[in-house]
Order: sequence, then structure tokens, then C-alpha cells
Amino acid sequence: MTDTSAALPLLTPKRAELLRDYVPFIAIALVILLFWAISGDRFMSMRNWTFIAQQTPVLMLLAFAQLMIVTTGSIDISIGSSLAFSSFLGALGMLWFGDAGLIVGIFAGGLVGMTNGLIISLLKIPSFVTTLAVLIIVRAVVIIVSDGTAIYITDDSVSGGTNISSVAAPWLLSMGKFPAIFILAAIVALFMWAFYEKTVFGQQLRAVGGNEKVLRLVGINVTTFKIKVFAAAGLMVGLAACVNLARAGAATPQAGLMIELDAIAAVALGGTPLTGGYGSVVKTIIGALTLTIVRNGLTIAGVPPSWSQVALGVLLIAAIAISLNRSKVDVVK
Amino acid sequence: MNNHDASPLLLVEHVSKSFGGVQALRDGSFDLNRGEVLAIVGGNGAGKSTLIKVVAGAHVPDGGRIVIKGREVLRSEHSVSHMQARGIEVVYQDLALVPNMTAPYNLFLGRIPKKWGIFVDERAMREKTRDVLAKLNVTTVQDLSQPISSMSGGQQQSIAIGRAIAWGSDIVILDEPTAALGPNETAEVERLVEDVRDQHGTSFILISHNLDQVRRLADRILVTHHGVTSREFKRDEITSDRLVKAITLGE
Repeated sequence: MTDTSAALPLLTPKRAELLRDYVPFIAIALVILLFWAISGDRFMSMRNWTFIAQQTPVLMLLAFAQLMIVTTGSIDISIGSSLAFSSFLGALGMLWFGDAGLIVGIFAGGLVGMTNGLIISLLKIPSFVTTLAVLIIVRAVVIIVSDGTAIYITDDSVSGGTNISSVAAPWLLSMGKFPAIFILAAIVALFMWAFYEKTVFGQQLRAVGGNEKVLRLVGINVTTFKIKVFAAAGLMVGLAACVNLARAGAATPQAGLMIELDAIAAVALGGTPLTGGYGSVVKTIIGALTLTIVRNGLTIAGVPPSWSQVALGVLLIAAIAISLNRSKVDVVK
Repeated sequence: MNNHDASPLLLVEHVSKSFGGVQALRDGSFDLNRGEVLAIVGGNGAGKSTLIKVVAGAHVPDGGRIVIKGREVLRSEHSVSHMQARGIEVVYQDLALVPNMTAPYNLFLGRIPKKWGIFVDERAMREKTRDVLAKLNVTTVQDLSQPISSMSGGQQQSIAIGRAIAWGSDIVILDEPTAALGPNETAEVERLVEDVRDQHGTSFILISHNLDQVRRLADRILVTHHGVTSREFKRDEITSDRLVKAITLGE
């Protein structure tokens, strides 16, 4: 950091490149220091960090899903609706089949993702348009199916009203709390890292984002690959939906409203270009964490919610403006 | 090939191809022997691009036949992967590489070695890449962890040609290999082609608009005109003048 404030010759292109690589890490350190300075112990308390550790996982998993898709050069804005749909079906699954029925939620996410992939690949409709339509449709389906009511997860069976759907699953509620939720998130992050950085599938995500035509020329079936990518990302959304169900203690038709934008922001804050070809799991985690910390810090500092949204938007533009290597960008769309 | 006089490595006879009523290729015929560089020249729309795409398996011909090492390619099996399996690789002018990926990844494109079923065997890839680069005498590519977009055009084209020969191909089709390169890099690629031909006996089909390059590299020069492979010259018997006449007038 002293580089930037010191004499300019210190910032050689090579060092600028290196610095750019570390923008997500520098940003999160600055954000933490800033809120520590403003709010002191109210921000830097065990209690608050426990809260942050509970808040981050759902966003992080959604950001993982988005990362897979963005790396290929596509985008998925339907994940908020898919989250509501999946957590509703997860809760329904538990109503029908008992605890194991939660897995229905994961597959529901996979199904929405696969549908996206099929429409994009076979009908050749751009991912933005396809997932916009799916965003609208799936949200409507959730409202229709749920009839506008929620399914609650409770500590013990409720004898109460006949209209209220509830499932007694204390284990699920405790999964939604620190430390279980944190451990689960860490395990998923580890798997995601191995998957994204080390597998043939993960490398192919980057290759498709880099030059799809070449892959077709060497005989790789990019069409089926993209369907698989959207399905895999959908399964991750389904998992996020189950975590969200545990965290929120209810499947509501409004769950995950606008959260697709947070997921995209987390990926972008993690230094991933939305044009595809590059990406990092570690930096995406940092991005999701930064977003959660900023929102949390602003709330503690007493900034009204609308203004904190403005601050988040500014942060997003600042982070990308710094981390983007403009000499490598020839066309801005 | 112990009986190399008997049958050529590749024989293309009277191949034709139309696209929705437009006959891009009327009669493409040539043969190619082991260790030979055959150049195909012709104006725009003369059919040379269609001809090599048929040979590469990307287009199924309407008529004619292709025989590789004495065995005819059946219509039903005519595909890129089949031609690759029979030893034909193409280095396309600008579509050959994935710019954001490393040299090893590009070399292994479509053939990534796996470890435990799903993981990339990075060590095997790096070792084989060093092998291939050493075989090609390419010493300028050192850092194998960089994306190839950070390399020079000549280095990138070396990787592309390396990929074509790394998997034991007998025939490499070069589609305008130096059109986008500067003079030094062009010389580098030309040296590479000659080295590979001399050391490994690989045959090349060279598509180029650069007639000086064609006369430097090719043993024989095939001229296409209006969709017909109309003339063929040996390297020694051709002057630039005659070549230009053949290309423009078909005579």
C-alpha cells in the first residue's frame, strides 16, 4: 500500500499488475479497518463476527454458482428465484418424506439450472435473456404453488393452526447457526476450490470463456458442457437454498429477492471479469465476505439501509475500476 | 511406409462441395507424399479453403474420394475426429488457441490427461509440453504457467503447430500460418516447419497468400481456380510470374 502513496516510479507496470491481483484482499482489509475505526468494539466483537459468519455462507454459495457461469462468459440472474423455489421444495420434501426430503431442494435447484442451460444451448437464446425470463416464471411458480404462505421449520411439532404448514426439524435449525453453518460453508468452499481449480471440468469453464470456437474445432461438445455447467451451478443454488432454509427457519415466497445481484457483485468484487475466462474461488469468498461486512458495518454505524445500498454500489464500481487492467480491454459493452 | 512408391500418404480425387446451390469446390484432386510440403494457392473464392476443410473432416464432400494410407475414408465416418484419428491435424489461422489458457493446456486441448477420473494431471502436461517444445527446438517459451495471450505471435503459432504434431500426426494442414506475424516471427515459424519435416517426416499442406513463402517452403505448388485444382508445379520449375498468371487466369 505504501507503493501508491510513495514516488510514482515505484509503481512499475509489473507492480501495478501484482497490486491489481491483490485488490480484493486490500479492499477487505481496508473495509474492516474503516468500520473498526468508526464503530470500535461494536463492530470488532465476537458477537458481531459470529453474526457475519452466519450471514456470509448463503451469499458465498450463490456466488460460487455465479462464478462457474460467469467464468464461461454467461450470466445467471435467475438464482434468487431459484433459491426461493428450491427452499420451498426442500421444505415440501421434508413435509412429504421426512428429514431426507430436504434433498429435493438441492435437485430443484439443479432442475432450474438445467432448464436454463437447455434453453440457452438448444434455442440459442443469450443467458441474460433466458435467465431473466426464468427469474420471472420461477418466482411466479413459487407464489402459485405456495399460495403466498410460508412453510416453517420449528424446534418441536406445533399443534396449532390448521393453515400453518410446519416441519419439526431442530437439527436443521441448529445447522443454520454458528458454528455448524460455518463449518458446512468451509467444507463446501474446499470442495468448490478443488473442483474449480483442479478438475478438468473447472479448466474447461475457463477455456469456454476464453474461446468457445476453438473448443468446438477440437471436437469438444460445448453445447452439452454448458448444460452441465448450468445444472452444476443450479445444484449449488439448491444447496444454498437448503442453507438459507436452515438460516431463516422458513421457506417464504419472497426468499432471495434480488439476491442474484449480490451474488454477481460478490463475484465482481472477487476480481472476476464478467466477460469470462478467468476467476478465483478464494477471491470470490473474499468478495462475498466483503459485501456482508460492508452491509453489516454500515448498519452498525447507523447508516440508513437505502444509503448503505448506495455505498455498496460505489464500492463495487471502485473495486472493479482499480482491479481492471484497462490496457487489456479493447471493447467495452 | 515401406512401399512408399505404391500409394501416396494422402490421395484426394475429384472432390466436390456445394453450399446451398453455390459450388465452392468443383474438382479438387491432389496427392501428398511422406515428408512433403504441398502448397495450395489461389485467389479468394477459388475453393482452397473448402478443399482443406473437406480434408480436415469439417465438411463432408458431395462427391469424390479421399484415401489415407491406402484406405478410403467412408462418407459415414467423415468427421474431424475421424481425420484426427487417421493422422490429419489443422492449424487454423486465428482460431487455433484459447488465449487465456496456458501453453500446456493449449497443447492438450481436447486431450487433457486425468488423474483419479476428474482431476487435471498437471505434471504429465508440463512434462510432455517441455518434451514437445524441446523436439521443436522452441527455446523461447519458458514460463508454462502464463496464459498464451502474454506470448508473442510466433511463440503462439509454435504452440499451435506443436499441438498438431505432438500427437503423432502424419499430415499437418497450415491455414495461413504467418498471415498475422511479423518478419522475424514468420522466419521462426518457417524454420519450425522445415525442422519438423526433416526430423519427423511430417507432411504439410500449406495455404498461403505469401508467394515468396510458398516458393521457399513448398516442394510442389497446387493452384486452385474457380473451384478446380487446375495446375500443379514443382518448386524448381516455377517463377513468380507464372504462378501469378496461374492464380489469376487459371493457365
